[in-house]
Amino acid sequence: MEILWFGILAVLLAGYFALEGFDIGVGLLLPFTGERDRAVGAIAPFVLANEVWLVALAGVLFGAFPVLEGEVLSGLYPVVVGLLVSWVVRDAGLWFRRRLDGSGWRSFWTGAVAAGSLGLALSWGGVIAGITGAPALLGVAYGVVVALVFAFHGWTFLAWRLPGEAVAQGASRTGRGLALSAAVAVAPVVAPLAVLASDVLGEAAPSATLSVLSLMVLPVVPLMVGAQIWVWRVFRRGAVPTFF
Amino acid sequence: MDVLDLARLQFAVTGSLHFLFVALTLGLAPLVAIMNTRYVRTGNPEHERMTRFWGQIYVTNYALGIVTGLVMEFQFGMSWSGLSHYAGDVFGAPLAIETLVAFFLESTFLGLWIFGWHRLPKRLHLACIWLVTLTAYASAFWIMVANSFLQNPAGATVQGDRLALTDFGALLGNPTLVMALPHVLSAGLLTAGCVVMGASAYQLFRRTAERAFFTTSLRIGVVTAFVGGFLTVGFGYAQFGFVETAQPDKWSANTLAGIGLGSMQTIGETLQLITFLLLACVKWLPRWRWAQPVLMLLTPLPFIALVLGWIAREEGRQPWLIYGKLTVADALTPGLTAGQIMLSFLAFVGVLGMLAVVDYLLIARLIRRGPALIALGEQPVLTLSASRL
Repeated sequence: MEILWFGILAVLLAGYFALEGFDIGVGLLLPFTGERDRAVGAIAPFVLANEVWLVALAGVLFGAFPVLEGEVLSGLYPVVVGLLVSWVVRDAGLWFRRRLDGSGWRSFWTGAVAAGSLGLALSWGGVIAGITGAPALLGVAYGVVVALVFAFHGWTFLAWRLPGEAVAQGASRTGRGLALSAAVAVAPVVAPLAVLASDVLGEAAPSATLSVLSLMVLPVVPLMVGAQIWVWRVFRRGAVPTFF
Repeated sequence: MDVLDLARLQFAVTGSLHFLFVALTLGLAPLVAIMNTRYVRTGNPEHERMTRFWGQIYVTNYALGIVTGLVMEFQFGMSWSGLSHYAGDVFGAPLAIETLVAFFLESTFLGLWIFGWHRLPKRLHLACIWLVTLTAYASAFWIMVANSFLQNPAGATVQGDRLALTDFGALLGNPTLVMALPHVLSAGLLTAGCVVMGASAYQLFRRTAERAFFTTSLRIGVVTAFVGGFLTVGFGYAQFGFVETAQPDKWSANTLAGIGLGSMQTIGETLQLITFLLLACVKWLPRWRWAQPVLMLLTPLPFIALVLGWIAREEGRQPWLIYGKLTVADALTPGLTAGQIMLSFLAFVGVLGMLAVVDYLLIARLIRRGPALIALGEQPVLTLSASRL
């Protein structure tokens, strides 16, 4: 049972990096492209389905590994504050940038998307360094690595989603290329998680709690997977939406 | 203020902000879903416009619900690790189930609904908003399960120095949950009803060009506010018996809780009476220009009552975090410094507060502009033809 819930934790964490990684990556690339509306439009239908993986991850941490949840979040206090504020700013940028006309308004919130994305990538470096016990300075360096990896993933995503457009020249435009960049995006977090696996497993909640969680959650998993696949089937091609 | 006060205030402010947006979300979701259903069944473009206009207000409000919720979720571990240490094996379960079974699906289906206009078949698109509504209500259920456990720790026993989950059924059948959940959901309907009513009254008062649109909307708002208000008050009174048993000195021992309760009751009962009168003359309200400013002035009342009710419920269990088991002071993260809590307080409250103001201004602007220019569900414009214009 512990192994099952560790597996769910690992899948959610890897899934977050593979999916939200390209949203953050596209956010990082915004200052360097002229096609900002197209780039935001490309990720827009995916963001809500992607960012929720981290919400679920935090939920699983609380439900299945509660002591660890308290220790990790309070132990990494300033980094988690940075992560949350960046996330909030990035999301606000996406929701708000088209809500008023005027180029100043849109530029401001596009800037918020970019700044929030940068903050998210750097904070993740700090989180990973923190849980592995690395010094803070290494966390900054690791954050830069995460940012570069996400930017590469976002760049590949844009090439895949907007074929035949000027944006993301030179990247692989195939689905296989996107899968490869997803694997690259996941790499910075999978290695530390594998190293820490036995520590995490030791902190699992008692089997009574895990049984209840399994009973309530596992029957819904097919629906969760189905909904995610549906998002990809619907929005992989076609006109780029203009809501965000 | 010391670290404990700041941590409490931070949770109270982010929690109240979250609740203001979430309550409107919960109330508007079924209204938008019903409007969307009418559109799909009749094909009437007026119903489509209603869905898009109120849907746009719904999603604009939703944005702040998400971001305030994120901060809430992580704050448990950051500031209150004593809670996860002592009771995480019980309290964590409903929160974990909420994120996976409810919010994960809600967020995914909301994305499909927002971006799926003119892309999904109409009936599947409609199914998305109903699934969003259903999962939003499921979300409210699990959050209230978790909150009710703090009010009355049912289903758990002390094992060693921690609480263990021993009876999941008792956790779900918690008497402090049974009437509180429909109370909160009805309050959401009351809030949404008042917003729809107030916004429509504003447009009609300004002699809108969209008379038919806002006449219908006003009536929807009045009926929703009345039903919501009636149920809110009913389920509110129905809770007193349980509260008496679970927390006998809830209203007397904590001044703030008593004030919160009394003021909430005053607002709730006033709204119940007014919405009953409004329902009686709903036929004429769209033409009674003199009455419309009153309807506008009612709009903030349910929001104030929401926060007051929350203060009553949470202040009333002080000094306990888990009633009778764990005090708030003992739940505070050990070693949390004043600097840390100050930093996060300023960051969260500052950023979320500013965004909340911006969001409400955007909603006010949407209401002022009316249904003519709505981004949600716009026909996609081909880039080619746009560049030719």
